[in-house]
Amino acid sequence: MNDMKTMGIVFSNIYDKTVSELTSHRTVASLPFASRYRQIDFVLSNMSNSRIYNVGLITKHNYRSLLDHLGSCFEWDLNRKNEGLVFIPPFSTGNTGIYKGKLEALYSAIDYIDNDNYDYVVVSDSTIICNIDFRKAIKKHKQSGADVTVIANHDEKDFGREHPLVLHMTEGDKEIRSISIDCQSGQNSFVGMGMFIFSRELLVKVIKESHQDGLVHLERDFLQRGFNLGKIKVEVYEFDGIVLRNEDINSYYNNNMELLKPEIRRGIFKNNRPIYTKVRDEFPTYYAEGSKLDNCLVADGCQIYGKVSNSLLFRDVYVSENSEIEGSIIMQSTKIGKNVKLSYVILDKNVTINDGVVLNGTKDHPIIIKKGETV
Amino acid sequence: MNFQKKDCIAMLLAGGQGSRLMVLTENTAKPAVPFGGKYRIIDFPLSNCVNSGIDTVGILTQYQPLELNEYIGNGQPWGLNSSQGGIHVLPPYARSKKSEWYKGTANAIYQNLKFIERYDPDDVLILSGDHIYIMDYSDMLSYHKEKDASCTIAVLDVPLEEASRFGIMNTREDNSVYEFEEKPKKPKSTKASMGIYIFKWQVLKDYLIADEQNEKSDNDFGKNIIPALLNDNHKLYAYQFDGYWKDVGTIQSLWEANMDILGAEPVINLRDANNMIYARNYAMPSAYISGESNIVNSYVAEGSEIYGDVENSIISTGCTIEKGAKIKNSVIMPNAVIKENAEVQYAIVGEGVTAEEGAKIGDDKENYSAEDFGIAVVGKDKVIEKNTVIKPKEII
Repeated sequence: MNDMKTMGIVFSNIYDKTVSELTSHRTVASLPFASRYRQIDFVLSNMSNSRIYNVGLITKHNYRSLLDHLGSCFEWDLNRKNEGLVFIPPFSTGNTGIYKGKLEALYSAIDYIDNDNYDYVVVSDSTIICNIDFRKAIKKHKQSGADVTVIANHDEKDFGREHPLVLHMTEGDKEIRSISIDCQSGQNSFVGMGMFIFSRELLVKVIKESHQDGLVHLERDFLQRGFNLGKIKVEVYEFDGIVLRNEDINSYYNNNMELLKPEIRRGIFKNNRPIYTKVRDEFPTYYAEGSKLDNCLVADGCQIYGKVSNSLLFRDVYVSENSEIEGSIIMQSTKIGKNVKLSYVILDKNVTINDGVVLNGTKDHPIIIKKGETV
Repeated sequence: MNFQKKDCIAMLLAGGQGSRLMVLTENTAKPAVPFGGKYRIIDFPLSNCVNSGIDTVGILTQYQPLELNEYIGNGQPWGLNSSQGGIHVLPPYARSKKSEWYKGTANAIYQNLKFIERYDPDDVLILSGDHIYIMDYSDMLSYHKEKDASCTIAVLDVPLEEASRFGIMNTREDNSVYEFEEKPKKPKSTKASMGIYIFKWQVLKDYLIADEQNEKSDNDFGKNIIPALLNDNHKLYAYQFDGYWKDVGTIQSLWEANMDILGAEPVINLRDANNMIYARNYAMPSAYISGESNIVNSYVAEGSEIYGDVENSIISTGCTIEKGAKIKNSVIMPNAVIKENAEVQYAIVGEGVTAEEGAKIGDDKENYSAEDFGIAVVGKDKVIEKNTVIKPKEII
């Protein structure tokens, strides 16, 4: 048995609005990413590879595609006799409903978390992409005796709409000076990765008290407030690997493109800690005579007769003769006709582009074609 | 324990050593040899079973079963992890009175009579694990039932000049078989047996028991069971199959079958969504294709990184083809690394092989006479040192 005894909680809906063009029919967790994955695959693989096999997935709405993707969770090795993945939809207990913040959401999972067999809980979003061994963070949490450990990295930049948790440190990153919910990070500060380690008993207490006090947001109402009032001991676990934050359409687009760089790919995809996803039984991709690819990620099951550069192709994409694609993200089962020119577009699943169509977006404003549409 | 009665179950003969595949089957059974970029040979009969509605398959293993057993696992990749039926690996086992290896194809089935009896099937489909083809067995089963045959044998029309390499079914006008000839010198027909049989279980069972009593028997379907049935005037029918079928028992035929999946309109189309071939999948990211590469009429599977040139070839999962490397008319099996400026032509490169910089494996056909030419083969996990030349026909 695992001597750490850790369970996991994953949020699937919290940031749906940030990429609303692509989440009208799915949770942000099931948003396709990295040419063959869904965002949720990364956090679930990280949990599974860290031997966290009891994972609660909190969902709110639009979760049919998520259920469909995860199936029996066999691929993530989360189809287990005594543990495994548990769906926690809203209204799963009588006194909960649709929530706005993570603290509220956690209340719907209170019965699930209230399980004496576990000592720690890893609570995670599903929109921050990395390859992390949670066991190291749990070890640090245990040693430090903190109430909460925030997994964070140095990431100096302006953030988009979603304001992450920023931990301002004293000189040499020794101690947390203050905590803010900020658009900007700076020197001597860590940016939260939406991943927290709680001692399980404390988490249960926090959820119950927050419910009574009407508190909603985990970062603002609990972490920032608790720390500033001196009520809780917060520690940082610094993650020094590659971190891709998908906060809005632009960062989603750019992060996909980042994966074309070998050093970024190697930081996310590791042989000893693979990222799992749903198996789709596709043939290897066929590159016909006349095709030409330049700097692309291509999943299995594609048939390519045209030219594609600086792009990501998901599974089962068909690119016909004399078509040219540049700087684009083409999702699963999309058919692209002849003499098509696409630059800087995001095509959602099952899109059909008819012969001769020309679509020109820009890097900052990629054109988005919704699921199932024909152009 | 109760077992659901089944109309038809399949028994897949996967114990062959496949010695003509040389180094490729040194440490693995022939059915586990990689094929077509992400498959193994056994995926074809297994997927055919699933696509034909057969949900119970016994796999008879004997030679080097470790890799094959691991590959098959609980049958989940093929949807054969059912609690009523599913996949069962059946190696030879020790019995209280005597223990023995499978002596022949018929003996392998005989030793598993009890396994078949549990399902009380009307018919048993006998398959082998060394053919590449896509076939709907349910059509053959309907034909078998319609003819009320004791045994139905799938046959393929082969050119007359090649017929003496096969087991030939001599038939009457109604396709009933009156004679079976193993590799006849002067073939009377061009109907070659594909090694696919459907037997009425009650008939087969009796003949397997009788065959086992005969000490002189080779315990082989083609040599003993089929002739015995014919001798007793049982109804045997040939079922004509018109699709693609290839025995991949030799280096040349394995290479040819791989080449046959290429092209815009290949003779065996793995890109046809109606004929899905299932395989065990490994968690690998999408293939990365660099601008320095040029890929023509080729398959590249996930987990690969391509920086060199690839033409008329198959690059399997997890391979790296470095800058300046050239791959032509070749099969690169999973996880091989072809380093800078190495050249591979008319070759099969085994799993996990590393070809160091400037290595040369195989050559262009043009430069050789027919008898001097052949496919070059590098066995699993071998390292071909810098600038080393592996000549055509060479097998290491």
